[in-house]
Amino acid sequence: MELKISGLTKRFGDFTAVNNLDITMDNGVYGLLGVNGAGKTTLMRMLCTLLSPTSGSITYNGRNIITMDGEYRRILGYLPQDFGFYPEFSVQDYLFYVASIKGIPPAAAKKRVKELIIKTGLQKAAHKKMKKLSGGMKRRAGIAQATLNNPGILILDEPTAGLDPNERIRFRNLISELAEDRLVLLSTHIVSDIEYIASEILLMKDGSIVHRGTADSLIHSMEAGVWKCYAGREEVPGLMKKHKISNLKQENGMVQLRIISDEKPCPDAVKEEAVLEDVFLYYFGEKAGSSNGEI
Amino acid sequence: MVKFEIKKMFSKTVNRILFIVLIAVTLAAGILTVRDERYVQENGDTICGIKAARYLKDAKEKWSGYLTADTLKKVLKENRNIDKTVKDPHKNFYKKQGFEEIKDFINLAFSDYKDYDYYKTENMRASEAGGFYNKRILCLKEYLDSGEESFSDAEKEFLIGTYEEMETPLYYEYADGWKALMDSQYLLTLITIIVVITGFFVAGIFSDEFQLKADAVFFSSELGRNKAVVSKIAAGFLIITLVYWGMALLYSAVVLFSLGFGGAGCAVQTGFSNWYSIYNITYLQDYLLSLAGGYIGSLFILFFAMFISVKSRSTVISITIPFILSCAPMFLGRVPAFTRIMTLFPDQLLRINKGLGEFKLYEIGGKVFGYITIIIPLYLMLFLVLIPVLYIVYKRAEIK
Repeated sequence: MELKISGLTKRFGDFTAVNNLDITMDNGVYGLLGVNGAGKTTLMRMLCTLLSPTSGSITYNGRNIITMDGEYRRILGYLPQDFGFYPEFSVQDYLFYVASIKGIPPAAAKKRVKELIIKTGLQKAAHKKMKKLSGGMKRRAGIAQATLNNPGILILDEPTAGLDPNERIRFRNLISELAEDRLVLLSTHIVSDIEYIASEILLMKDGSIVHRGTADSLIHSMEAGVWKCYAGREEVPGLMKKHKISNLKQENGMVQLRIISDEKPCPDAVKEEAVLEDVFLYYFGEKAGSSNGEI
Repeated sequence: MVKFEIKKMFSKTVNRILFIVLIAVTLAAGILTVRDERYVQENGDTICGIKAARYLKDAKEKWSGYLTADTLKKVLKENRNIDKTVKDPHKNFYKKQGFEEIKDFINLAFSDYKDYDYYKTENMRASEAGGFYNKRILCLKEYLDSGEESFSDAEKEFLIGTYEEMETPLYYEYADGWKALMDSQYLLTLITIIVVITGFFVAGIFSDEFQLKADAVFFSSELGRNKAVVSKIAAGFLIITLVYWGMALLYSAVVLFSLGFGGAGCAVQTGFSNWYSIYNITYLQDYLLSLAGGYIGSLFILFFAMFISVKSRSTVISITIPFILSCAPMFLGRVPAFTRIMTLFPDQLLRINKGLGEFKLYEIGGKVFGYITIIIPLYLMLFLVLIPVLYIVYKRAEIK
């Protein structure tokens, strides 16, 4: 199985949302990491045939996905960022409806819906109206609908957005379970969502993939070092102007800073092991996490 | 899939309430129509509804048969006798109820064109009744030559031709059920309400996917750009059909079971408001034509509303379309400049029963047609064109 993106570009007027992308993917979990507005959702919408590219192509096993039409969508599961649903439908009815538009015969749909309700832990909510579900439960219903057809390609756009930490962990584990023998493309701007489950991470910025690789290879690709040092409060603004600060916390009247810098930022700075969050900050600079403060 | 689309529609509380309101309105319209049937008793008391219908039927049955010169003479004589012998106005009216309609025809026929003289029969001699049918044609000719209207020669010829083609003598019998159904304002008002309310049901079939942001899942599913779109169209068609015919037949049943099914074969010209009609059809044909026209009108208006919902992606905008198309032309048509063109608007399909008596004509390729024979095939065609357009536009929708 091969999903190949070649010279893919999408423009909205003068704005280029996706710029000449070339990516080839096969089975495995791919984490698409980037700040808001990087072009992740536009890319995913094109992968789901919701948007047509301005130029370039997407092929599945050598065939253009647009011309494959329903045949391609048969192996596709998609959880959009703004996951909409029919508020008055119960979870079960919603899943039966999605099963019907996915072309799953009623008998098979009945069995599959039952399975997925158990797998996603929605047993108690199966007869509840969708509008009455909590954010986490809605997301679970979302992942259930995306996997109803047991898709070979599963595309999840910001699946953990708005979830509390516990739900995020549960969700991450669920995705790991689902990742076997299929291609999972997961977009997020939250590093921890993909740090442990992605076999390959694609860093997307301004419509282009600026780096790709495993978490380790991305960490090693970072030319700058990561430093830990202590500074007085009055020194912090100056250091923030000069360097990229990955973390800071108050400690005994001083401020402990985690700084990404080519050179030693202050005399008593100690070199630290870099983590993926540092890489994110290194590549995306001050834009990283700017919209919601999460990294 | 169709089942789920209908479930989506009626999962909205407002639609469930509106459906109940529609049933209530239909029943109320039926009851009000029946209540309009009135019979005046000998003592002057008026009774309404089913009981009145029973008395009127008995009274009119005595006069049923072909409206020949002899029958008309009898009516004139009987009318005069009653006027001479019964001075009490209530009793006078009570005694005339059996032939009151026939008396009206005579008044209509012998009055000047479209200038009804209620007292015409009082000044007529029985011997004049022989010219009853010819007078109808003569009056039309006088009217067409008067210069009051601007019909072309072909149109004048067409109008006179339809008058001459009317089978005479007319057959008359008690047909109050059909007349109440077809000649009152209730049917067209009810059809308009059905269209407006059904608009609420179908307006969101397509646009709700966008509004609820359920579009991404819909269009990325295997059947989202083919069979699922067809199922939406089918759900719309099914709901329009079931609601329209359900309500129209419920209303008809209330009226006809209360007032009677008799007289279905009478010509529409035996109804007071259709005396001038150019459509030589029976009440049953009028009923079928009016309901079929209303159905085609509903299909076109509501499919157009669905098309607007696809283009605008707004349920609110599409809800306004049935209202605009079925009600606004009524007001715009009062502006002289729009009068003629408005006869081709789809709202006309909802009021065919009220347009039978009007001379709305169109000349195409030298041939003249009554507007009813134009708008029914015209909107049937437009509706059929809308189906693939709706399918293609929705199928190609993109999520930006």
